[in-house]
Amino acid sequence: MSILRKPPVGRAPAHHTPAHHSPALPLRPRSAIVLTIASLAGLAMFAWPLLLQPEPGVSRVDQPFLFMALLPIVVAVVVAELTEGGLDSKSLAVLGVLTAVNAALRPLGAGTAGVELTFFLLILAGRVFGAGFGFALGCTSLFASALLTSGVGPWLPFQMLCAAWVGMGAGLLPCRPRGRAEIAMLVAYGVVAAYLYGFLMNLMSWPFQLGIATPGAEGGLQMVPGDPLFENLHRFVVFTLVTSTWGWDTGRALTTAVCLLVLGPALLTTLRRAVRRVHHAASIGRTT
Amino acid sequence: MTARDLHPGAWWLWALGLAAAASFTLNPVVLLLICAVASLVVMARRTDAPWALSFRFYVYFAVLVVVMRVLYRIVLGGGASATDVVLLRLPEIPLPEAARGITLLGDVTQQALLGGFYDGLRLGTLIICIGAANALANPKRLLKSVPPAFYEIGTAVVVALTLFPQLAESVQRVNRARRLRGSPRRGVGVLRRIAVPVLEDALERSLTLAAGMDARGYGRAGSATPAERLRTGALMIAALCVMCVGVYAYLDGTAPRYLAVPALVSALVLAAVGLWSAGRRVQRTRYRPDRWRAADLLTAACGIAVAIGIDRAYDVDPYAVMPYLDRWPEVPWWVVLIALVGVVPALLTPPPVPDVPAPADHRDDREVSRAGAA
Repeated sequence: MSILRKPPVGRAPAHHTPAHHSPALPLRPRSAIVLTIASLAGLAMFAWPLLLQPEPGVSRVDQPFLFMALLPIVVAVVVAELTEGGLDSKSLAVLGVLTAVNAALRPLGAGTAGVELTFFLLILAGRVFGAGFGFALGCTSLFASALLTSGVGPWLPFQMLCAAWVGMGAGLLPCRPRGRAEIAMLVAYGVVAAYLYGFLMNLMSWPFQLGIATPGAEGGLQMVPGDPLFENLHRFVVFTLVTSTWGWDTGRALTTAVCLLVLGPALLTTLRRAVRRVHHAASIGRTT
Repeated sequence: MTARDLHPGAWWLWALGLAAAASFTLNPVVLLLICAVASLVVMARRTDAPWALSFRFYVYFAVLVVVMRVLYRIVLGGGASATDVVLLRLPEIPLPEAARGITLLGDVTQQALLGGFYDGLRLGTLIICIGAANALANPKRLLKSVPPAFYEIGTAVVVALTLFPQLAESVQRVNRARRLRGSPRRGVGVLRRIAVPVLEDALERSLTLAAGMDARGYGRAGSATPAERLRTGALMIAALCVMCVGVYAYLDGTAPRYLAVPALVSALVLAAVGLWSAGRRVQRTRYRPDRWRAADLLTAACGIAVAIGIDRAYDVDPYAVMPYLDRWPEVPWWVVLIALVGVVPALLTPPPVPDVPAPADHRDDREVSRAGAA
């Protein structure tokens, strides 16, 4: 029984299997291309307030509600492509179980001053199981927790893609560092990712929260369509500093960093052992 | 009519239709009408399932969105021009040099307030529509009828949703064992002593589950040839490339218009064909599949009809859809009729099957193995 076993603490054993040798969801070159193009399209849908150039002569600009319908398609295509070669049962089961854990962690922190417990396990899993798995786990975690806590809304696809990027980025970090250096790297990444997540989500929702300025009525923190990129960026940075950076984003970064520091080493060992077991079972399956 | 649950996809199409209609208009009367229509259908056709009881949280959240929106308008300013009617004079607070040109508070005008209110109401209506879909459609049945291309990922989500209740039990068990061992109650170590065994437990369970799924024939490989897989990949990459072009042209008003919406539509078509092609490798049958019958089609059609109707209404009478900000909004009777089409499902669809709670553990076991064997 695993609960009676003394919890392993500290460094991973020296003979572990490197993460990139047996990722649970291998990132084939074709998937990498799809991911890149999809990320480009997704990024444009996040950063639309900065990119929008209205047609000459149009006085009134509306929020592009169309993107709320398009982004799910982008996420769907990427997920379908990642699992196109078929997902073996062990990876699928591990994905399902980690999704359940993440979905259970999310409501524990949600709503209380930016305490966000989803990210640290996502980062650890992305690190151990690879970028493709991290992407899929980001999508499924947020989707499942939205279903469980009735958080399905127009914001969900955006959150899913953002979390997927966080998981994928953790899988793309250099694989050399181990031990303390690895934890330090993951903590630094976690803090950056937490702030970037808040920044991107805010950027997408800024014109929805404040509205879009109409000609002749500028002068607040609203997005002004067609203004130079830096003017709008400046307004947005002031908006996000005033409304959310100090509370939500800093809370998220702190929670992620503390969780990674306290639980990171032990959970990395646990997850790496799971990789070895999955790998081991798969190799037995191949030889028989 | 005999009681039966409609196809979850029908409710989603209906709700997305209402949401699209709401996104096309700023008329507060039409928006409130759409909210009322959605709420009425939810009241008439929801069950006692947990997801159905969450509708009120969406309503609270929508109200919060509207209030926040108006507050933001007052605090952060904007949306006012020189000729507007000033309702309230507040002192201006200039921000430091870094935020040059931006002030907090200042004069509150009727146009700014109404603009913020209408815009917030539109977002709130959107949230209520999605909440209605959430309350009416059974998420587990929706996951069962996902397209075959999402077979694996859908199974993973079903596994997650089914294992979720067991995690609480696992935490309790680990905690009890920890207390029996007499380990200290305080300190960061406690967190680690709970988190690691719970995760170990969960991962152990996943390997058991995988073995169970293998035994039920989950791992059967599809029969896609390399040529078919190449076609699938080409379709998906093409869809995403065309979508990039379409998004760019949609955002840049100076780009030729034929690149915007037509490109996005062809990207959707390419993506749909790509997903269909990716799903062809999955050979499986469904246990008691949900069928689309007349009532389901009618429900979906009602939502889509409202969306198309409000969209077309702009061509007939722009001010019925985008009202003035300095007088009462006008509402022609035919716009009201269009919005009321959305209420038809409350009258013409069969009532839902009353929820009979089955023994929880049996149901869970069955669903996990079905997820694996499907």
